[in-house]
Amino acid sequence: MAKETSLKRRQARGDFLTTLPLILFTVMFVVGPLVYVVVLSFLTRAETWGTVPEFTLKNYADIAQPVYLGTFWQSLRLAFLSTLLVIAIGYPFGYFMAKLGPKWKRRTTLLLMIPFWTSSLIRLYGWIIIFRAGGVFDSLLMALHITSEPLKLLYTYPAVVVGMVYALLPFMIFAVYSSAEKLDFSLVEAARDLGASPMKAFFTVSLKLTLPGLLSGVVLTFVPSMGLFFIADILGGNKVVLVGNLIQDQLMKAHNWPFAAALSVVLLVLTTVIIWLYRKLSGVKDLEGLV
Amino acid sequence: MKKMFALVLSALLLVTAFAGCSGSSQKNGELVLFTWEGMFPQEVLDGFTEETGIEVTYSNFDYDETMLAKLETAKGGDYDLIIADDYIIETAIQEGLVQELDTGKLENYGCINPVYQGQFYDPEDKYTVPYGAGVQTIVYNPQAVDIEIKGYADLWDPSLEDDVGVIGSYRVVNGMALKVLGESYNTEDIAAIEAAGEKLLELAPNIRLIKDDNTQDDLISGEVNAAVLYTSQVTMAKMANPDLKVVFPEEGIGFGIMAQFIPSNAPHAENAYKFMDYILRPEISAQCFEYLGYYCTNKDAEEMISEEYRDFLTLPADIDTSSMEMIENIGADAVAAHDKVFNEFRTACGQ
Repeated sequence: MAKETSLKRRQARGDFLTTLPLILFTVMFVVGPLVYVVVLSFLTRAETWGTVPEFTLKNYADIAQPVYLGTFWQSLRLAFLSTLLVIAIGYPFGYFMAKLGPKWKRRTTLLLMIPFWTSSLIRLYGWIIIFRAGGVFDSLLMALHITSEPLKLLYTYPAVVVGMVYALLPFMIFAVYSSAEKLDFSLVEAARDLGASPMKAFFTVSLKLTLPGLLSGVVLTFVPSMGLFFIADILGGNKVVLVGNLIQDQLMKAHNWPFAAALSVVLLVLTTVIIWLYRKLSGVKDLEGLV
Repeated sequence: MKKMFALVLSALLLVTAFAGCSGSSQKNGELVLFTWEGMFPQEVLDGFTEETGIEVTYSNFDYDETMLAKLETAKGGDYDLIIADDYIIETAIQEGLVQELDTGKLENYGCINPVYQGQFYDPEDKYTVPYGAGVQTIVYNPQAVDIEIKGYADLWDPSLEDDVGVIGSYRVVNGMALKVLGESYNTEDIAAIEAAGEKLLELAPNIRLIKDDNTQDDLISGEVNAAVLYTSQVTMAKMANPDLKVVFPEEGIGFGIMAQFIPSNAPHAENAYKFMDYILRPEISAQCFEYLGYYCTNKDAEEMISEEYRDFLTLPADIDTSSMEMIENIGADAVAAHDKVFNEFRTACGQ
């Protein structure tokens, strides 16, 4: 008996020691900076540079100004729109990819991965070449006599949406794919045998079983799209202001670190609430091990 | 065997980790230069090393703010010579991170163009030597624009709808509206800044893009036909398309200066003096400015700049230097007002 407890204790100690580096890492690089940001958000900015250690709520009060609330609204709207489009394209893609034979699965995965081998900035510059005046898309439309003069496609809201969807699509595809691959298609066949229409079989069986993948895809799409400010910079000509842009400006231009910290905290709370809502509304506990 | 291998590997890792610390041991022949990327032609850096035997370590930053944060962490040490923008130098001086210059050590000190001296960030020229100036100008394509642009106010013209590009500096952009309203760039009057914001909202329909990097490309490719650019971008635009017109705005000219300073605890300050003096030599200076594409702050170098560049790198002889105004640091409340106004403007541009 005594031997068994000592064994258990040793095992517990072993568990603790093996996870210790991870705990230390998390405390140092996740909890630490987070606490720093929260503390910073309650400090007062100095006249030109740095902060003064005086407690204030002004930074949070400042966010309530219409222009900054508008920025949050703009970010949310763009994130929603991008996520919807990503679902519309990514879900069927991932679903049918899971039905492919092993050889084509490998090939499709490879094709999806290849763009990641270059920097995302370079890929965005590729979109500039496509969209710009007299660029690939313009020339194509003019060659087909659909338009007669260059369209102004670059530096518009739709250009930003395209960039967002492009950047985030693979995350949705892989999330849905991993879920759909585990799906037992004989269940769908059983539903069909029992008289369900293809639509009904899809909605009651396939969709339900791939929902965790879909929702983890949503989280992987929605959360980053709140912060992907460089896409709005490059393809939107800086005219679509997102929370990410605002935070960067506060740090680099206005030298208002506490305000930047307050914006970050609000953004963090907002995304946490949204993830919590997803889980609540969908009733899915396991987002493919994401949250 | 595997264990042995792992042990050897980790030992190697440790050794290489520490090697980094001992490698940079204090040699006398070193100069740590800290500035943006691409501030000097390689020949100039090599020429300096060849002549003096001093190795130049070029480390760079992307934003002035990053520089100041790093210098603060290093307590004014680590770097020997820094080149940055005027306004951040004022802050660095206030924070006690800059040492006074002994100009007696600079033989070529007299070459500096006095227009760029005695400015707000260093009124008595105790800490800095200028290295290049930027003048905000409007550049436009006269073939594609129906009006003659003479100043900022012309950018509001309805014929330029969706056709104007501006750099992303909020003080420059808000400053255009301030200038049109007859105010100073540096006003701390919140009502004046807000009035400029209102004025900017009327400009929004004409704005096609706001961006800092390579804005000249959009002018060259015809994405926009008029733009407010940084000086180096103006130079590049004119080199690519000589038909573009450069306008010194009639409302008054805003300008900025990049300057060199030695941090308070620079490890090799003597070498920094040698380097400053070296690049102040007119022939070296001319080489630097042709490469850099900013206005030449070295009077004696002006005539050595080759013909094709001279127009872009020196101020026109007939320019009224009294109408020139620098963008200075202003109080926190005014900065907050500028920030708000600029964000409202950007949002309006996206509608």
